[in-house]
Amino acid sequence: MKKRMIAAMMAATLAVIGLTGCGGSSDNKAADDTAKVEVPTEPFGDTIKYDPTVEINDGKDISVELWEWGSDDLFQQVIDGYTAIHPNVSIKLVNNPWEDYWTKLPLALDGENGPAIFNIHNSYHENLINYLAPLDIPVEDLQADFTGVDAHVIDGNVYYIDYGMMTGSVYYNKAMWEAAGLTEADIPKTWDEMREVAKKLTIKDGDKLIQAGLNFNDDFHQNYLLGLNYQLGENLFLEDGKTPNVNSDAMKQIMQMLVDMYEVDGVGSKDFGEKGSDSFGQGQSAMVIQWGHYYNTLKTTWSNIDFGVFEIPTFDGNPYAYNRYNGESTFGVNKNAPADQQAVAQDFIKYFLANDDAQIAFNLAMSTFPAKKSLADNEQILANPSLKVLSEHIDHYIWPGPMPATVETSLKKAGEDIFFNGVDIDTALNEAQENIIKDMKNSSFVSVENLYAYAK
Amino acid sequence: MRRKISSIALNVLLLMLGVITVYPFVWMLCSSFKKNSEIMALEQHLLPQEFILDNYVNMNAHFNFLRFFVNSLVITLVVTVLVVYTSTLCGFVLSKYRFKGRNLIFGFVLSTMMVPWCVTIIPKYSMIQSFGWMDSYKALIIPAMFSGFGIFMMKQHIASLPDEILEAARIDGANEFYIFQRIVFPMAKNGISSIAIFQFLWTWEDFLWPYLVINTQEKQLLAVGLKMFNGQYSTDYGALFAATAISIIPVLLIYLFFQKQFIAGIAASAVKG
Repeated sequence: MKKRMIAAMMAATLAVIGLTGCGGSSDNKAADDTAKVEVPTEPFGDTIKYDPTVEINDGKDISVELWEWGSDDLFQQVIDGYTAIHPNVSIKLVNNPWEDYWTKLPLALDGENGPAIFNIHNSYHENLINYLAPLDIPVEDLQADFTGVDAHVIDGNVYYIDYGMMTGSVYYNKAMWEAAGLTEADIPKTWDEMREVAKKLTIKDGDKLIQAGLNFNDDFHQNYLLGLNYQLGENLFLEDGKTPNVNSDAMKQIMQMLVDMYEVDGVGSKDFGEKGSDSFGQGQSAMVIQWGHYYNTLKTTWSNIDFGVFEIPTFDGNPYAYNRYNGESTFGVNKNAPADQQAVAQDFIKYFLANDDAQIAFNLAMSTFPAKKSLADNEQILANPSLKVLSEHIDHYIWPGPMPATVETSLKKAGEDIFFNGVDIDTALNEAQENIIKDMKNSSFVSVENLYAYAK
Repeated sequence: MRRKISSIALNVLLLMLGVITVYPFVWMLCSSFKKNSEIMALEQHLLPQEFILDNYVNMNAHFNFLRFFVNSLVITLVVTVLVVYTSTLCGFVLSKYRFKGRNLIFGFVLSTMMVPWCVTIIPKYSMIQSFGWMDSYKALIIPAMFSGFGIFMMKQHIASLPDEILEAARIDGANEFYIFQRIVFPMAKNGISSIAIFQFLWTWEDFLWPYLVINTQEKQLLAVGLKMFNGQYSTDYGALFAATAISIIPVLLIYLFFQKQFIAGIAASAVKG
């Protein structure tokens, strides 16, 4: 009897879920959105123009797949816009979990039935490049409309570019800022000022840290070591583009500054929260340096935190470059797909690049600064504080190229050895340098730091 | 007195182990009624400080939960029924018939259990591709129809059935198929329950294979859907816990109804042979 009751309760739970769960299906939303799509009749775009009057696949019905990870709605909007112009084209959206996408995609691309269009992340460049067809858009047109195209040119061809640039900024807790007697005028411009502000934001009870002024636990390698070197005029790779430069004097200076912030200034501690980003969300730390995606995390997961954003400080106010950035990539075209599907894929990417609304939507969703030059002063973009702080100096950020993961992991280990195992800075960074050289022996990676607009 | 003390000590130990085992599940269930900020808060409470149902109500925001759930249920039931039937049939043949090469075949069946799945997944994927079964439930059902573990279990279990009963049936004029259907199958109830529970659980929670071979969103299974909560930069823990809590109900129901036979079946397979 008891067993039947438990079973009945579970079955009832399933039924309730069935009834309530049906309501907000993303399928329904997509269907609603399709009805609102306006069909353009005139060519649009800057240098890359999309002409909606040109038929695709001679007007004959065709179906292609687009594989992606992330937000279905975002991709579906672009698909709806495109298929409204070309009703003969059907684009099937296949959503994937981020991590496992990189297992499934190469397997599918290796055969004949892989997706014609697929989303790319440049950290998987080496795994994907052999499956990509070059974009059917003149390189000069891409260069005219988008920044950072040069770094994507391979033997005169471009296979994908960045639609947005993501980098680090300082996020601060406004309530803590106010409680420390700080105002907008106190926003630091230099690292010395930053350290002073961090001291004011730090609260201690005797020796016990109650509130960290600045927390870089778990992400110092990503947000400080791999970026601040540019402020001191040092690249991450030597002139050959292959030899790492992580035991440079600049890197040692940055590492020393991080150690001093915790051990001399006492504005934080290696033991104060496993992750700086979580500690900030939990209201324990007053400032963190995080990349653009953190803006969305704060809006969704930590919505109770009233935060502000300011640009990363510099050492002397006149840096060689402010920081490193990484691009969010446009889609790729599968070179093994049938020719008619590839033609649709090429046309779809052209539509995406020419379409300002799509560019704005993707950049806002990812909190990336638009690579499309004409959108640099767009109102919607600048209404996002994490993008507004980048707008003044966005041309002073460097992309080193799709670096192998060992660069990050080796520097993380070096930092942890320094903070937790008492290893001295020189030894730890030398070990990181050797480790990266060893791991990159078979890598085809070549840095594109030399393509920075203000390269020395 | 000494026996009483050791019994109490044993029960306390078992209770502690039970709590340790169950606590993460209870924590997940309670967290499914919390906001993400509370799940990740520095100060943790087992019970929600602010009780919300949003994670359950908005479950469909990530994917069509009900659709995935029904897909998983159908595939799992079909695979379980097929595996139970083929395992019992093969187990019957290997344990009750004497023929040349029987031990070799059984050894071959056992050897399939020794090869790690990650070694076979790529050739299996290529075969499915060349058969044209991609994005079809054939790719999920047909390769899963035979289970080495199931055949092994059922061979051990059926070996314990008295040969005299089968002989008596033959004398009464029953053919081999009738004997299997009407005598062996009902008498192997405990072993079948064990295989059914194991197979149901394995198929229900299998992620990688369905993910690799199914592309159409409407055909996808729940284990794959649950992974959709893990984003590139963040995870929607509340919704993930809510969906997981619901997804384990069928497994619990199956275990609830078959637990007696399951335990008897496992014990029988372990000692007889």
